Amino acid sequence: MLAAILCFAALEGILFHTGLYSSIIEPESTTGEMEVQLRNEIRRPKHNRNQVLAVGHSRMALLPRIVNQDMPGIGYTFASIGLGGTTPRIWYYALRAVDPTARTYAAIVIPTDDFNEPDTYDYHTEREADLHYLLVRLALRDLSDFPWSYQSRKLQWVTFRGIVLKGFVYKRDFLGFLDHPLARIAKARYVDSDSAGWYYGYGGVDENLEGLRIDWRGRTMQFPDRVPEGKRAQIEDMLFPTLPPDEGRETAYLRYWYGKIIAYYRGSGTKLIFMRVPRAPTSPPDPAPKLNSAIRQIASEPDVIVLDEHLFDQLEHPDLFWDAWHLNRSGLNAFSRLLATEVRRVLGPPKS
Amino acid sequence: MLFNTPQFFAFLAIVLILFYTAPRALRKYILLAASYFFYMSFIPKFILLLLSLTAIDYTAARWIARTRSPHSRKAALVISLAANLGLLGFFKYYNFFAANIAHLLHKPSDAFALSIILPLGISFHTFQSMSYVIDVYRNEQEPITNPIDYALYISFFPQLVAGPIVRAREFFGDLYHWKRPSSDDILRGLLLLLLGLAKKMVMADQFAQIANGYFQDVSKHPGMVPAWSATIAFGIQIYFDFSGYTDMAIGMAKLLGFHFPVNFRRPYLASSITDFWHRWHISLSRWLRDYLYIPLGGNRHGRLQTYRNLMLTMLLGGMWHGASWNFIVWGGYHGALLSIERMFRRKNAPEGSGWTIFYPLQAVITFGLVMIGWVFFRAATFHDSLYVLRQMFFVPHGHQTILRWQKGLVLITLLLALFEEKKEWFEKIALGPAWAYGAVCAILLLSVELIGYTEVAVPFVYFQF
Repeated sequence: MLAAILCFAALEGILFHTGLYSSIIEPESTTGEMEVQLRNEIRRPKHNRNQVLAVGHSRMALLPRIVNQDMPGIGYTFASIGLGGTTPRIWYYALRAVDPTARTYAAIVIPTDDFNEPDTYDYHTEREADLHYLLVRLALRDLSDFPWSYQSRKLQWVTFRGIVLKGFVYKRDFLGFLDHPLARIAKARYVDSDSAGWYYGYGGVDENLEGLRIDWRGRTMQFPDRVPEGKRAQIEDMLFPTLPPDEGRETAYLRYWYGKIIAYYRGSGTKLIFMRVPRAPTSPPDPAPKLNSAIRQIASEPDVIVLDEHLFDQLEHPDLFWDAWHLNRSGLNAFSRLLATEVRRVLGPPKS
Repeated sequence: MLFNTPQFFAFLAIVLILFYTAPRALRKYILLAASYFFYMSFIPKFILLLLSLTAIDYTAARWIARTRSPHSRKAALVISLAANLGLLGFFKYYNFFAANIAHLLHKPSDAFALSIILPLGISFHTFQSMSYVIDVYRNEQEPITNPIDYALYISFFPQLVAGPIVRAREFFGDLYHWKRPSSDDILRGLLLLLLGLAKKMVMADQFAQIANGYFQDVSKHPGMVPAWSATIAFGIQIYFDFSGYTDMAIGMAKLLGFHFPVNFRRPYLASSITDFWHRWHISLSRWLRDYLYIPLGGNRHGRLQTYRNLMLTMLLGGMWHGASWNFIVWGGYHGALLSIERMFRRKNAPEGSGWTIFYPLQAVITFGLVMIGWVFFRAATFHDSLYVLRQMFFVPHGHQTILRWQKGLVLITLLLALFEEKKEWFEKIALGPAWAYGAVCAILLLSVELIGYTEVAVPFVYFQF
């Protein structure tokens, strides 16, 4: 039986705890997309430490190409590993993967949706999907923290098992691979070799919401005629969400993961720049500030820079958005320029 | 507490530790307590039913053995059989008969229906219990004096809910002459446990997705391709589900020093329907042969009587599976096929499969006939069965529902089955070099991890019988 356990551990280890299986993972899966981003960033040539990396979800609107090509005077090279659906927990492990020495970057830009961090029904602590995003990068050493960052016993067990026995989580991907193995290998290779250029060349969506009017107090919207019904309902749901009473869960979650990122970079010389993303196609009213929010509390930490809360309010315009939360091509362009300028201002001139 | 859950494996580990660390005299009490705990983990109140039947049959057997009066002996037997069949009939068949009577009286089908939950494994433990009492009546089995021993025979957790149906002499032979399992038996037992788990989760539960998707609304998938795909998927599901369960039961028993009879011998390699029934659910076939077919006269009273006995045995075998016309038709279908085979078989011809030039054709025809039978077994209603059969033979189009990797899996298992049939690889692996044993176990574990259906623990099909 010992031989069986050793054989199994060896097979599981060779397949899933090395780069063997992750090299043929479905590139369009959650795990695959994350891995493509991380690999591209790890391979990107970095000739000096004047590198600025953005992490974040789909609302992290930095287009590095805009800054690197059009604003050479900035002096810093910008890159992004932002990926839709990711969360601060994922950003921590992603940063650890692309910057194992914590000394690669001059600054890391980290987005936040709202300085008040209200609780939502989408309880970030309990997101099982985070395991899928990070599957390739989680290792046995993470058993001591990753599973326990979940509160539910079931998720603690699922994530613990997922890190040890990654095959359980790769199952759907593996069955897809078995169905068309050669096509999968070809696709994985193609994406691996070419995707860095696609991501870098991405320009954004051309649609806009020009003509949209929002009455924030009355919670009503007037849409231009061209916006279809389905999209209207989606925009209303996103901008007028029903929120639970704020019990500070989101703040506690952010405090923990921002804290982990800050601790990781402590003493490394890397600045951590936190900023609020443009919130909506028109500026919503500002609620009373929650003074003990995570973002406001970490502002006093060394090497942490929190950009002005209202810096990007100027981009909160229907012409610059294509849906409730996301900037369009012009918006991305404007955001990238504004962010780069502000980063340059807070970092000062690049080190030679 | 299903066999395919982590909870069950934790339970099994605890039982094994307690069993082997306790003094020998206490071990059967540990097994009995574990068995009752296992049974009560499903629906606790039915333990009363199990205890009642145990008490009735234990007492009846003792009475049969003690009295010399043939009338008293028969009375005790009748009481025991009436209790077993009465309870089985009530729980399993009451609503079926009630619905049919209501139909005859032109009343709504639920006019006389009762809300009845079928106690887990009732078909298995009542048949096992009845076989014991009948054997005592026939003087083929000594009555068991210790009620604990008898209670353990009826409730032994590895085979309590879905067999195999173990004969008393087999079980008590092991219990009364218990020997610590040899290292070979432990290796075989562990390999069987893993093999059974892989059969269930990798094959049965995956193919169940296809069969369930089709049979839950057969009209949604017209054409012969989906009908055959789903029927074959169900054929694969039910075989791997039931034989997987049995492998686990036999494996667990081996780890505890007990030896259960083989219940499946690669039935889809059968060269005839007769051969199929020598390979499929062997412990039930054996029970039906010994307690129904032979007492009815078997093949001793001419051809017509033999056909009648075959039909009756298979009809009752069909009904044993469940209370619906579909199961009766399924049993009748197999009875008819067995009768037809017997009609055309040369006298003294061997019943088993010979590896002749005709074997592949015979095996394919037998497989096809068995699959057609499964339509009645799986379809929700008789009307659905007829619809599916019509699709299978008369509606020439439709989409394939079995994925490429699933076809590959079937091919691999077919090759393994053929290899086992000729070379008995299982035994060679179980007793072979450590690296080969380790590699096979590792591949089985990896297949459960990577291919096994783990969204939820799917109950075994035969738990409903």
